[in-house]
Amino acid sequence: MAVNKKSKRFEILRQRDVHKDGFIGEWKEVGLIAMGSPNDPRPSIRIEGGKVVEMDGKKRADFDMIEQFVADYCIDSSVAEEAMAKSEKELAHMLVDVDVCAKEIRRIFLGLTPAKLSAVLDCLNIVEIMMAMQKMRVRQMPGNQAHITSATDNPIALACDAAEAAYRGFLEIETTVAVTRYAALNALSLLVGGQVGRPGILSQDALEESFELQIGMKGLTAYAETVSVYGTESVFVDGDDTPWSKSFLASAYASRGLKMRFTSGTGSEVQMGAAEGKSMLYLEAKCVMITKGAGVQGLQNGSISCIGVPGAVPSGIRAVAAENLLTMILGLEVASGNDQTFSHSDLRRTARTIPQLFAGTDLIFSGYSGVPNYDNMFAGSNWDIEDVDDYLALQRDFRIDGGLRPVLEADVIAVRNKAARALQAVYDELGFPAITDDEVEAGTYANGSKDMPPRNIPEDLKAAERIMKEGITAVDVIKALAKRGFRDVAEALVMMMRQHVSGDYLQTSAWIDSEGYVWSAVNDPNTYAGPGTGYQMSDERWEEIKAIPWAINPEDV
Amino acid sequence: MAMELNEQMVAELVRQVLKGVNGAQGAPQVQKGQGGLGAGDFPLAAKRPDLLTGPRGKKFEELTLDNVMSGAVAFEDFRITPQALEYQAQVAESAGSPHVARNLRRAAEMTRIPDERVLEMYNALRPHRSDKAELLAMADELEKKYEAKICAAFVREAADVYERRHLLKGDLPEA
Amino acid sequence: MNEELIRKVIAEVMAEVATGEGKKAPKAELSAPAAGIKITELEKATKGTSPKEVVLAVTPGFGVHFQGTIVDVPHGEVIRQIMAGVEEEGLTCRVIRVYHTADVAFMAHYAAKLSGSGIGIGVLCRGTSVIHQRDLAPLNNLELFPQSPLLDAEAFRAIGRNAAKYAKGEQPVPVATRNDPMARPRFQGLAALLHNKEMRYLDRKRPPMEVKVEFTH
Repeated sequence: MAVNKKSKRFEILRQRDVHKDGFIGEWKEVGLIAMGSPNDPRPSIRIEGGKVVEMDGKKRADFDMIEQFVADYCIDSSVAEEAMAKSEKELAHMLVDVDVCAKEIRRIFLGLTPAKLSAVLDCLNIVEIMMAMQKMRVRQMPGNQAHITSATDNPIALACDAAEAAYRGFLEIETTVAVTRYAALNALSLLVGGQVGRPGILSQDALEESFELQIGMKGLTAYAETVSVYGTESVFVDGDDTPWSKSFLASAYASRGLKMRFTSGTGSEVQMGAAEGKSMLYLEAKCVMITKGAGVQGLQNGSISCIGVPGAVPSGIRAVAAENLLTMILGLEVASGNDQTFSHSDLRRTARTIPQLFAGTDLIFSGYSGVPNYDNMFAGSNWDIEDVDDYLALQRDFRIDGGLRPVLEADVIAVRNKAARALQAVYDELGFPAITDDEVEAGTYANGSKDMPPRNIPEDLKAAERIMKEGITAVDVIKALAKRGFRDVAEALVMMMRQHVSGDYLQTSAWIDSEGYVWSAVNDPNTYAGPGTGYQMSDERWEEIKAIPWAINPEDV
Repeated sequence: MAMELNEQMVAELVRQVLKGVNGAQGAPQVQKGQGGLGAGDFPLAAKRPDLLTGPRGKKFEELTLDNVMSGAVAFEDFRITPQALEYQAQVAESAGSPHVARNLRRAAEMTRIPDERVLEMYNALRPHRSDKAELLAMADELEKKYEAKICAAFVREAADVYERRHLLKGDLPEA
Repeated sequence: MNEELIRKVIAEVMAEVATGEGKKAPKAELSAPAAGIKITELEKATKGTSPKEVVLAVTPGFGVHFQGTIVDVPHGEVIRQIMAGVEEEGLTCRVIRVYHTADVAFMAHYAAKLSGSGIGIGVLCRGTSVIHQRDLAPLNNLELFPQSPLLDAEAFRAIGRNAAKYAKGEQPVPVATRNDPMARPRFQGLAALLHNKEMRYLDRKRPPMEVKVEFTH
């Protein structure tokens, strides 16, 4: 055999997309390991006088700020000793046993420590994790969220894409910026476009945390989710917060009638070089418990912007599914990731989404890119709008509800056009830089920002500044819309403003239907208890999912 | 035209499915919270609008587009009240989420704090921003000026934790 | 970063883990030929007074235990380009080595506080960079370059140039950076690995040191 001769087959394999991904071996000493690091503490608990005085081998006097917060605000000390006495296998068994109800699991699992929770999840294989997700998701109906961003922050493109996403069935839309100072205009585009697409859709603007609160106070966004928590004290402090400051912020949101959830994810601590040798899942267990302790209704997790880290190590994507499950176990809404570029390989990126898509979560993606990835200012999502027909086909292939519905081209064109015209009217009424009829036309038929004529950016930025400085609020937008003949859209905005008064959508896993009726874990709790129970697709919904427009109708042939 | 039909259809279907599920399973345990309201009263906007008002006393049903256009209702009327947050806390408790209820009760207290001061207080609670005396003074302000007893206790607790974990102002090496 | 280097880093880490060597403080080598740079440590870094200086902070491993960025821009080239960019604008660039943190925002903020002009730059071994101003909050910044795989020699020169412009009180157009959504799947795991390696050379108690930089090729 010739020493330097190469195999033709291996040559082909090396050229495959999967070889463009980064794969890394485990390095346990620093915590570059997904689950079950030998450095994770051994689970233990001691309760004295209703207080946790020892947790996972550490005495109370030695607790760091996270451990103290979790021990005092999350762990139910009245059940802790009973819960911790159970073996990890026994607890894992409860999760997959259809005859053990979610309520009982929550009662017990709120008595567990971070080390115990992560050790229990390490007993489950990926199919068992999915079985448990199906039962533990807090709300019965699964849902989906979209990213709506533009590489040029084009306001018309944003409004049109927001409208299309709402029309396609997303429950929430999230934007961020290419240029920070555009933020207020992006929020406005999503508000107007989203309510054109489907009244009731929730919109948010992911930015610096005090700005997010301010823009919400103006009624231009309905919720926030990029409020980050971390699993080690040093990373939390480097992120310029503590569990107390973050809890205070959470209450500030609720005090203004705004929905919010926290964000965390496996890999963030080791990415910052400060995982203290602990596994990613153990540290994430602490994040979920901080969220629970803060009294926040939900959490966005599933590694999120660090997905390349668990994605590179063995069993990392299983850990990502496990962290979603952990969030559900503790009774929190989960916006379950799938929201960042994860792999060059179409096979890998599809497989990465299967656990959340097949089991169903409150928001399967957080979010699905409703624009082409080149326009995605979250640095790209795992799926984008150009994959949407594949997604519809998967819903149909497996008879699953992924939250989207097939649509007709003519209807999408109509809804995009209306969104562009509504925004044109609002800009005109508020004295913002004009949106021309040519721009309306371009937005109506565009795929992405490359199809849009350029805007005068400095002039747009002045308008953005006016929103913040002159105290322009959702009420001004409502008046502009009604005055210019978009009464139905104005009505939808009033309906959204009423949510800030009733506070119904502050409850766990809330979404708002087209008539302003709020559904949540309170009035639509998950009732799964084995085959034939839990979320059951209606006949009508199944007919809708079946009807992809490009399928051949036997009668037509 | 086809579009509007579809929209209505979907909205109707979703409602039917979910209302059906609720009815059939009777799932939410209607168990009254201590204060009175329970999961069965949710959503308040549909089931107990009589309990809801804006902060200036406008009734929930008065918050309409016509009243916005006439100027009878302004932006300031679209704001949650401490009472509404207390009702939602009761609903959360009754639905088995005492943690959420606790957050909503802190929030009820914070409705009395102006926007700008809330943001300042949040920043003051961030690590290495305040010394212990400043945090304790903020707790006193919360308690005395805004009747925010829960928040005040929370800030006092933070002051102790920050002291123990060296998270107060001055605990960081300066350049 | 080529495949060979990745293998080398991983193999080195594995070997350390296997022998337990990682627990000891690694011996400090003082030069690394492939980096094209020789760094000599001088005295403790002090606050400058010249309004015409920009301070550049690097980590202890820079140009010593690591030779180039995540996409193989040699560390000598990184410093040379940043300095050239600063000098193009008629200012000078002073280099310090920060031992107590490898958080690039805090490094750059520290450099800014020592800088006579109030403008500092921080650069990690893998290339991640920040331009900072001393009066901003640490987690705020003038310009942030988080995607290290997209930073080439030209980008480092532009970073130097813009830092000098801020020092002169100008409001430059931010450095144009590419957006590559696929950089994450390719490099993020490796970036985490490199960052953890870089952290091992920190010494929380050691103050920042002034260094002399010589280019060896």
